[in-house]
Amino acid sequence: MPALPRSGVIVADEARCLTCRECEVACSLLHEDVCSPNLSRIRIEFNDFVADGPSIVLCKQCDWPACYYACANLWDEPAIRIDAATGARCIDPELCHGCGACLRACPLTPERTVIGQRPRERGRVYFKCDLCYDRPEGPVCVAICPGQALTYVPAGERRR
Amino acid sequence: MLYGWTGKILRVDLTSGAVTTIETERYIPDFVGGVGIAARIAWEELAPGVDAFDDGNMLFLMVGPLTGTLASGAGRVEVLGIAPQQRPSIFSRSSMGGHWGAELKYAGFDGVVVQGRAGAPVYLWVHDGEAELRDAAHLWGRGTYGTTRALRMAHGPQTRVVSCGQAGEAGSRIAVVQTETGNAAGQGGFGAVMGTKLLKAIAVRGTGAVRVAQPRTLLDLCLNGSREGQSPQTFDYRRWMEQRSGGEKATFRMKKCGFCATPCQFTMTHNAELRQGPSVPSVAMQCWGYEQVPRRSDAVTRAMTSDYGLNGWEIAYGIIPWLELCKQHGLIDTLDGIDIPIPDEPILYRRDAVPWPAEAIEALIKKIAFRDGELGDALADGACYAGERLFGGAGADLLDRIYPRRAGQTTHWAGHWGTGGNIYWPHWLPPTLQWCVDTRDPASDSTHQWAEHVMRYIEGNRSPHPGPIPMERVRHVCAAVYGHPDVCDPDITYDPPEVKAIPALWHSHRAMLVNSLVLCDREHSRVFSMLTEDNVADTAMMARLFSACTGYDVTQADLDRAGERIWTLLRALDVRNFRRDRRVDLSSLNAFTLPGRDDGVTLDPVKFERLLDSYYELSGWDRSTGWPTRERLAALGMPDVADGLEDAGKLGGSDRNTRHQDEHKEPEAQTRRPVVVR
Repeated sequence: MPALPRSGVIVADEARCLTCRECEVACSLLHEDVCSPNLSRIRIEFNDFVADGPSIVLCKQCDWPACYYACANLWDEPAIRIDAATGARCIDPELCHGCGACLRACPLTPERTVIGQRPRERGRVYFKCDLCYDRPEGPVCVAICPGQALTYVPAGERRR
Repeated sequence: MLYGWTGKILRVDLTSGAVTTIETERYIPDFVGGVGIAARIAWEELAPGVDAFDDGNMLFLMVGPLTGTLASGAGRVEVLGIAPQQRPSIFSRSSMGGHWGAELKYAGFDGVVVQGRAGAPVYLWVHDGEAELRDAAHLWGRGTYGTTRALRMAHGPQTRVVSCGQAGEAGSRIAVVQTETGNAAGQGGFGAVMGTKLLKAIAVRGTGAVRVAQPRTLLDLCLNGSREGQSPQTFDYRRWMEQRSGGEKATFRMKKCGFCATPCQFTMTHNAELRQGPSVPSVAMQCWGYEQVPRRSDAVTRAMTSDYGLNGWEIAYGIIPWLELCKQHGLIDTLDGIDIPIPDEPILYRRDAVPWPAEAIEALIKKIAFRDGELGDALADGACYAGERLFGGAGADLLDRIYPRRAGQTTHWAGHWGTGGNIYWPHWLPPTLQWCVDTRDPASDSTHQWAEHVMRYIEGNRSPHPGPIPMERVRHVCAAVYGHPDVCDPDITYDPPEVKAIPALWHSHRAMLVNSLVLCDREHSRVFSMLTEDNVADTAMMARLFSACTGYDVTQADLDRAGERIWTLLRALDVRNFRRDRRVDLSSLNAFTLPGRDDGVTLDPVKFERLLDSYYELSGWDRSTGWPTRERLAALGMPDVADGLEDAGKLGGSDRNTRHQDEHKEPEAQTRRPVVVR
């Protein structure tokens, strides 16, 4: 199997996170046209009852994307594709069968995965971070974050 | 299809256990949401003669069309009802940040209205369009932290909880409605309303969405909106944090409410406590705090206050200095064996009070939370109620330094007792007007932006650290925002009177709007800006956000009208149900007829009445009574409210009503003579 092109990635500095969850709302607003953290591709986990800081749960855009291979192995016309510009591993909702193979394959499942699902007319559709590939200014969560806790690192600048 | 609003408000009758819904569409767009809809429901349903602790009192926890959206400040929730902290109890409001408000929207509701009283302790479990009352016997007697943790165990870690602590259960008039570890609807004593209704908590989990009419527009507005609140020119948080730590070594972390771009809180963990492990919760620190020695235990006393569900502001800035004042006047010596420290000099302002040792503060908090002993029992109702019970009433006159006693809440950002920054004569006149007319400490939503702006932005404000904006520019900003160039002129005092009445009213209307949308005043009531070329803040942002979210195409003038409508409706409710009139308004002056803290200027009560005249005139309220007139109520689209006031004999502007008012003279509402300390 030929090696896939690398992807850019969003890097989080959890010490700067202010737990406002504006990233979650911005993500759902851009991708789903509604405000709903439940439909976000980024998740902020925090518990004020312990002294630890928050935890930012993000797609790692793996070099060996298990979600991509799971989808490609299962379907003749896979829903997960590699975006040419950013390298993002994206789910095409039109092609998604709703089988959930990507979610089960994700090495971060269950606690740390951000592959989500929402119902549609028949069955459901899965979604994951696509680095806002069609937004020229880059990922919207990075742009909205008031604490500048998120940084977008393009594929070429990504560390080994 | 409805955008912005979810369309349903939960109504919970605790007496019968019935959970029903109210259609939000009945009240929109005229009453917007939040405080506006609560005011309207209260006007329709809350009968005169009901007291805070009666079954007939209603508790509103309201969110608005912008709650849970990307608009900055969209995490807040408004709490309303007849507030026991006020003297006498009146319909009032308080608000809090955190994540609960947005969660309620995602669960599908624009608010929760609670009425009646449960037979046994219950909590309300709201989840994705459904709500049910459940037994809370296992939660009764627990603090807010324990309650929140238990409900998260039961319903999942993402459950958001508001609850009352032991103080609320004990009916303390200074009990708060608490959420998370550091957010509370503090003023008003609404925790006690929950407690007397035997409603321990409301747990919410919502996985739904807030639909938005123009998603792209909203996203663009929020991405390109003002970042004034985050600008270091607005506030130097690092210096503030260092001040708070009292020079001791501590670890800080900035923190915010949910869904807000403006950080205004931080958590402080002193290094000594960090070593104790993760059991110390991170307590959000806003501007208030206990002045105590050693400072590092501040996080512990704050956590105790939040856990018991007490109003820390009242304890730190009201009760503690009042006890010191009482000791200076020989009324009390020790706090049941614990020494009360006092300064050598007489206490004139809060800055003169001395810090207490941590053990004394902890003992005081426990006494208050559990109504322990005669002292704890009295102080659990706040210093204003305690003043009449303790020491044979001899401490009551000492309260005048600290409180407009009608409100039962300490002055704040108003140039006197001294919580808030330095604000110089005559700039504390608009806040004084707001204190007169409002039902609570107005600083939380009305005074703040006015006072902070005159302190931080304008030159020639007589402060030792004048702001950067030259007077000519200030006049330009005032003309653009307030419609009058002289509003911030430090040389204009009582004349012409509208110069002080205009900003008092403008900020109150803005506050109503912010409280109804529901947003936060920190970003949306700005007047000055350091980020725009002409220093005029973007004052029309709320209209653009509202239009994008709801699809109603409104101008800021339309929205400001809604703010005025809501403010006038709350006044009408206050007039009809709680005998509010000019005399009650003027009774707040007891705290302002003492010399100003920063300038030594004393208010002239006779001249001040002309400012109140002007305020009433601009509001369309009757000059002699302070009651709203039919003309203004009709112009605001509320002729039925005018009918209601007329039926009660309290409609402004008619002779019959004026005569009626004279029959109801209340001796306790008289302006108190200022007390001379030593």
